[in-house]
Amino acid sequence: MHVDLLGAVLRDPLGMTGSALLGLVTVMAILAPALSGYPPDLYTGQILSPPSAWHPLGTDSVGQDIWSRLLWGARTSLLVGAAVALISTSISVIIGTTTAIFGGLYERFWMRAVDAMLAIPPIIVMILVAAYLRPNLLVLILLLSALSWPGGARICRAQTLSLLERTHLSAAATFGAGWRHIIRRHILPDLTPIMLALTVGAARRAIFMEAGLSFLGVSDPTMVSWGKIMQQALQFTYLDVWRWWLVPTGLALSLTLVSLSLLGFALEGAMDPRLDGGQRHGDTRSSHA
Amino acid sequence: MVTPGAAMLEIRDLVVSYHGSRVLSDVNLRLEYGDSMAIIGESGAGKTTLGLAIMGFSEGTTSGQICWQGRDLLRLPEEDMRSLRGKVVAMVFQNVEDALNPVLNIHDQVKEAMTVHRNGPGHAASARAFGLLEAVGLDHERAKSFPHQLSGGERQRALIAMALANDPDILILDEPTASLDSVTKGDVIEILRAAASDKISLVITHDISTAASLSKKMAVLYAGTIVEMGRTEDLLKNPRHPYTRGLIRSYPNMTTTKDLQGIPGRMDREADGCPFHRRCTQRTDICSRLPPSMQETNGRLIACHRGGIVPLLKLRGITKSFGQREVLSNVSLTVLEGETLAVVGESGCGKTTLARITIGLCDPDRGDVLFEDETLRVRGLEFYRKVQMIYQNPAESLSHRMSVLDLVREPLDVQRLGGRQEREASVRKALDDVELPSDDRFLARYPHQLSGGEAQRVAIARAMVLQPKLLIADEPTSALDASIQAKILRLLQNLQEKRGLSMLFITHDLALARKVSDRIAVLHRGMLVEEGPASQVVSSPAHPYTRCLLEQAARLDATIGSPGVESSAGRGAAAQDRDRWIGAAAVNR
Repeated sequence: MHVDLLGAVLRDPLGMTGSALLGLVTVMAILAPALSGYPPDLYTGQILSPPSAWHPLGTDSVGQDIWSRLLWGARTSLLVGAAVALISTSISVIIGTTTAIFGGLYERFWMRAVDAMLAIPPIIVMILVAAYLRPNLLVLILLLSALSWPGGARICRAQTLSLLERTHLSAAATFGAGWRHIIRRHILPDLTPIMLALTVGAARRAIFMEAGLSFLGVSDPTMVSWGKIMQQALQFTYLDVWRWWLVPTGLALSLTLVSLSLLGFALEGAMDPRLDGGQRHGDTRSSHA
Repeated sequence: MVTPGAAMLEIRDLVVSYHGSRVLSDVNLRLEYGDSMAIIGESGAGKTTLGLAIMGFSEGTTSGQICWQGRDLLRLPEEDMRSLRGKVVAMVFQNVEDALNPVLNIHDQVKEAMTVHRNGPGHAASARAFGLLEAVGLDHERAKSFPHQLSGGERQRALIAMALANDPDILILDEPTASLDSVTKGDVIEILRAAASDKISLVITHDISTAASLSKKMAVLYAGTIVEMGRTEDLLKNPRHPYTRGLIRSYPNMTTTKDLQGIPGRMDREADGCPFHRRCTQRTDICSRLPPSMQETNGRLIACHRGGIVPLLKLRGITKSFGQREVLSNVSLTVLEGETLAVVGESGCGKTTLARITIGLCDPDRGDVLFEDETLRVRGLEFYRKVQMIYQNPAESLSHRMSVLDLVREPLDVQRLGGRQEREASVRKALDDVELPSDDRFLARYPHQLSGGEAQRVAIARAMVLQPKLLIADEPTSALDASIQAKILRLLQNLQEKRGLSMLFITHDLALARKVSDRIAVLHRGMLVEEGPASQVVSSPAHPYTRCLLEQAARLDATIGSPGVESSAGRGAAAQDRDRWIGAAAVNR
């Protein structure tokens, strides 16, 4: 790809901030066992203790180290975000491109399904389903993926339809190329920017939904999750503990979401030069000339 | 005097070779009284050798027969031959410095030509010599001049007078107009035409226009073999052998409008099989193995295994509608091997649809597309290896996400031809062919880093990398400025010359079409209104719409609204036509 997306995103102050924040959260999640002295579920013997040398954010109402729960919670959030983003974007791209290419009944079926799914707010469906299933991590990821692809599929279809009109696709067809070649060499590369935007968006929504469901208490109770931490913390707001229990967790969740939003914003700017002030666009051009 | 028809010069299986190498092989000709035959071909084809053989001057070993009134001139003793020479068979030699005796004046030389045959008394010969010189335009005073006092044209006239001195039955003209300026040439041709009318004449020349004005029949000689023979007019208008077409294309003249093109390669006498096969762009296996035999079709003799230039693409009765609107109705066209057919018409006349139907991007409602005489139903990899298309706008036809290397390699990837390195080598070669750099830096460039002309060249390289037989070019230069357009068109012509590429050239520009195409088809509102040789369509358009297009075509005349070539009455009629046709088109929309 001739537009250096990563470079452009990193040169953008917003993109830079987003990436840095996301990087920080990722590092925390990966290094969770090393950064925390305790496993997240361990009863430390102290209940609701304020921050100390052993417990940087104190302990919660059941005697678990809040710092380690925060770190392990980041793992859950990022895992859900990444997995849902990948799965739902893949579904979006597959349904979007194939409906655009093959059309007919196949297209009508999927597009009506998309309409129907977009008409119903996914959070309601999610709460209902989750309430019955009490989903574990894997089921949660699959459920979230199943609910978040339709918007992306519609975008991919529209983009593919416009791509199909491009002459370079006709040209490829007149080299004798089949659909596999055309999708791989001509449609997917041009969908990459959209796919990236969809991925970031889906990740953001998935992290938010997971936190929300955990907050409502409809997910697997053994899962360490920021939503659940906040829900537990809220019951003790009459004590001082919210300062090191609720606030850091809320902050972590907000920063993760903000980082993804910033990243998405920066990506959009980098991919569409028309949204850009021109200065940076000129830079990327000249760096390739 | 012999009565017409009774006397005949017949050459049978004439073979002449010098030191073991054949200069003429299996030449067969039959000439009757009053016939005029031109032998054309490149230098070294054996034309002069043929003339010399008839004159009995051949120095090489000969076989076969040259029959004249039941006598075989080849077997005749030198003594007898000498008495025939000049009297029965005379040759006008090429105007070279040493063709005339420098120490005798030309009158005496013409007289000498008669006195050696003891034709009557000396004073009669002298008078006749003056008469002959007068007839070729040399007066009494000139006749007394020595060769070095005469101009080239006058010397040529003197040589003609000498050849006519004994009123021969067979007149052989070897490059009679070479190195003469065009006005003198015209005079000399007039004289020759008058002189040859009651004889058998054989014009040997590489100058096709001289040949055309002096002959009724024409034979094309290539490497000692006659490859095509027929009536002069037909042969020049509709050459059927690839060599004849190449020869005509490379000859500057006022009749054809296409740019000059050469014939690739060199003449090769030692080739097995068809002598022309190494330079021929439509050769098959058999061409290199067996020499073709002469076949007659419609009064034309052709020595070609493939029966002359083959039709590559045929469209039959193509009809296509989009919704209610019929964009093409019953269009039939043929594209021959190695020729360019331009399809001309205004935008919306169905040109692009025709191109898309041909390449298979769109299916016709009715009608067939035939390629190499096979009706196409499903187009497979095989078809796309032979037929490629270039599009109007290179910015759109090249994916902006692929480098030059990826772009040009794509057809090879799709067709799975060769390994990685072979593909890259083919890419570099294709880029070289379109005169683009083929270094690594250029290969790594992306389309937005190329100029419009460069991008279109990349698109052409991409189409040519499969070495197709037919290239469909849909307005390939309309997005480019004139100087780049000229270069691109030159390039396409060169590729045609080199590879025998056939082209279906779609354009709205008649001025352009006439420079690049052999034939022009005019499309108007989905109907084929006129088709013919480019020169004919442009010089004498038959359909009013063509006349209208012609009037709109680009001109460099300064006077506004005056096409210059037409009279004011003609212009009025053309303007009326235009109004009518434009009006009709407007109503139709």
